[in-house]
Amino acid sequence: MTFDPATAAARGLARCHSCGRVEPVDSRLCPVCATPLHLRKPASLERTVALTLGAALLYVPANLLPVLHIESTLKGSQQNTILSGVIQFWRDGDYPVALIIFAASVVIPILKVLAIIALCVAVRSGRSPRTMTRLYRLTEYIGRWSMVDVFVVAILVGVVQLGSVLRIDPGEGALAFAGVVVLTMLAAHSFDPRLIWDATASGRGQTGQADRETAGVGGAPNSMRHA
Amino acid sequence: MGTPISTPYIACPDCDGIYTIPRVPEGERVICPRCRAQLLTRRPHFVNHAAALVLAAALFFILANVFPFMTLTADYRENDMVLAGSVTGLERQGFLVLAGMVGMFMLAMPGFVIAAMLYVLLPLQRGLRLRWAFPLCRAMSAARRWNMVEVYLLGALVSLLKLGKLATLTLGVSFWAFVGLIVCLASAVTIIDQSELWRKLQEARL
Repeated sequence: MTFDPATAAARGLARCHSCGRVEPVDSRLCPVCATPLHLRKPASLERTVALTLGAALLYVPANLLPVLHIESTLKGSQQNTILSGVIQFWRDGDYPVALIIFAASVVIPILKVLAIIALCVAVRSGRSPRTMTRLYRLTEYIGRWSMVDVFVVAILVGVVQLGSVLRIDPGEGALAFAGVVVLTMLAAHSFDPRLIWDATASGRGQTGQADRETAGVGGAPNSMRHA
Repeated sequence: MGTPISTPYIACPDCDGIYTIPRVPEGERVICPRCRAQLLTRRPHFVNHAAALVLAAALFFILANVFPFMTLTADYRENDMVLAGSVTGLERQGFLVLAGMVGMFMLAMPGFVIAAMLYVLLPLQRGLRLRWAFPLCRAMSAARRWNMVEVYLLGALVSLLKLGKLATLTLGVSFWAFVGLIVCLASAVTIIDQSELWRKLQEARL
């Protein structure tokens, strides 16, 4: 059984997004750090969905356009898209690198978009909130690692210059891909996991109760033991 | 300050459960019983420890920017790249936006986070708070997400392997300083409990 405490929102209390202070939402601004107070992140679902859609659209050029042009007197000239880069590493026998790039550039962005969709659905259904909250934390954490391929391009371009044997140029795909990563990170960040808990049966019950209790901000919240 | 030092409540950032702030023995954590988020960690000397780590990170950051990061050897020629070289290289090729993004994620953001932490933590060790401590602290928590030094390091390792067949890459002093920077900054960030930091800042004298 999940433990069901009262929620801050049900008492008209908002947790400051920056400093974590709990303050009546009527105060508008956090008295400590002057951040605007909200019960939930504003327009959370709308922003999350819009940013995710943007990321999904940008994911197409990110995969079709080359991220890197390599010209070498040894191996001739070649264009790498994200996937062809992975395949090439695999063929060369660099399995760990192939797996890292595949995980960071292909698996994580796709899983991330799927996870965000699952989270948005969970806000409707309110099912298994604990697992969904864990999924949210994971999504927030792994997003940044997709940037690996972009950094590889940046480093290769920086280190290989005006060599006669070797020439490396960045491709438009790298820019599109960096855009995908930034958009998915923003999408995950705009999502408010508290919405999932609001949708659970107890959350709904508590919000109903909230209307009566809003005035009594000082009503006794849960006491708790430390873990 | 006209505001009361602290409200008697903490709210869970992930599920909005609200609790009266429990008395926590030193070194123990408070976990939200509903969603298992970490609410509080009481580390008695975290300001001193974090300040020391951030100072070390600042030194590593300077070293990482001064010395060569990688050296490319091809065709009997050597070519050093400094850390900022991955930004200037892109910029030279006309990829201004991408150069800006890379520079932001692996140079500007870590630099800002380190500077802001020093500005907040060093005076706080003596119970003092400087003028822009609150807004800086707020900006810092937003900036932390965009600091991708550890991802950049993974990128550097992949680049080594990628070029391995075409040319020889050797690691410079800056690379190892960068590793040090990552370790120090990451431990500083994990040591700092945000709500404790804000509480201490409110108690500090201006």
